[in-house]
Amino acid sequence: MARTRTSFGRDTGLQARMLLTMFLLGLLYVGFVGVLLAAGAGFGIMLVVIGGLLAAQLFLSDKIALRAMGAREVSPEEAPGLHAMIERLCIQADLPKPKIAVADTDVPNAFAMGRSKKSAVVCATTGIMRTLEPHELEGVMAHELSHVKNRDVLIMTLASFFASMASMISQFALFFGSGDDDSPAGLVIFLVSFLVYIISFFLMLALSRYREFTADRGASLITGRPSALSSALMKISGQMQRVPTQDLRTAGQMNAFFIVPTSVKGTIQTLFSTHPPMEKRIERLNELEAQLQAPTV
Amino acid sequence: MGFLDALLGGGRKLKAPAADRLFAMTTAQITLEVGVGLKHRGVAGIVFQAIATADFKEILTETNELIRGSAEDTGTKVEEATDEFGYRWVILRDADFEDLVVSLNTVSTQLQGGGYGDRLLCAVFSFEEEGRPIHVIYNFKRGSFYPFVPAPGEKQRNTERELQLKAQIGPELPIEPEVERWFPLWEIPL
Repeated sequence: MARTRTSFGRDTGLQARMLLTMFLLGLLYVGFVGVLLAAGAGFGIMLVVIGGLLAAQLFLSDKIALRAMGAREVSPEEAPGLHAMIERLCIQADLPKPKIAVADTDVPNAFAMGRSKKSAVVCATTGIMRTLEPHELEGVMAHELSHVKNRDVLIMTLASFFASMASMISQFALFFGSGDDDSPAGLVIFLVSFLVYIISFFLMLALSRYREFTADRGASLITGRPSALSSALMKISGQMQRVPTQDLRTAGQMNAFFIVPTSVKGTIQTLFSTHPPMEKRIERLNELEAQLQAPTV
Repeated sequence: MGFLDALLGGGRKLKAPAADRLFAMTTAQITLEVGVGLKHRGVAGIVFQAIATADFKEILTETNELIRGSAEDTGTKVEEATDEFGYRWVILRDADFEDLVVSLNTVSTQLQGGGYGDRLLCAVFSFEEEGRPIHVIYNFKRGSFYPFVPAPGEKQRNTERELQLKAQIGPELPIEPEVERWFPLWEIPL
């Protein structure tokens, strides 16, 4: 009974980071709203507009994301293999079955969306299903399911909402704010919004990269095969360079939700990328595999 | 799911399996046989994900020896199979239902003792109604049972019959309350 493989060690890092991100985002927005109010924005209108947009984001984000990817939900009759695979993973991970969607594109990718376990959607592209072996695809789907289990998709949705709000307001202020009376209010709103946008952008990136590691770990926990996922990642990243650019661009807006980001370029990539470098992820998966293979005493 | 759970990503850990509830199946079998009119087919299986580690293989060998050892008393036959999803099955055959449940419990205890409890997916008990198979599936993570009735046709299930069975054996077995967790299991090699 002394031998326990039930977890590959503890990982409370994600929880701490998610809490910190939420706290900092909250702080940021209290400050932001304060400045907006001081600059003379109507409190009631602001509350209604921001509240409404937030609700829309929370309840429609999965549909919008699926629409943006050209993905649609598939029934067990349409994709029996994928459904059966995910059903088994759900038993293993103790999750209710999510909705399953397929996007008809050659870009080999997968993502998970949704505000709760029950409303979650897991999407795979036809490209990834063609590219990967069954056990590799299983690793990738387990990765997406552990995003659902970790509930970090919700935080990402919120974080990206705040970022896009700030960017919207700063654009609005730029175009209309300092119009007729040359008051400094418009400029202040623009500068503050811009600052808020930048800060929340970086907070989001930091969380996004970390949550990928956690989901990789979760996937290994579900399937017990870290090396299957790393071989999948290697295959996908190798494939990435050969896919048509048109598809890359249309898929570009959703990078933070993907298992592998589609735009891979430049030296500042590490600073701005939503995903950790592939080598780092494969390296960590390799460590997990080593832990698994280590003889127990 | 509370708000804090949402923030912290609660429920991330995999639940440890609950094995002792397996024995509820012995009394349920009588109800199924006498009350519902199902016949047990003298076969049950346990399905799990195999890991390619040295000590896991060791545990499997030990388990096999253990069951073969006790099989001399009970007469249980042991087989192994791998399904098309890459999951491993230990299949037990015994005309005596109680012996089947005991042997099944031996397999699961052995795997759990080795620290591989969370690899266990489910246990499957196979029954028969007018020549058609009816399965009772035990989900180790949830500690609950549910009926699974395959229907004619490619990957079809008879949900109505499943719900009838739930009503019939509900008092005997801890049935999985959430119907969305009644996952089908295709390609059951029993």
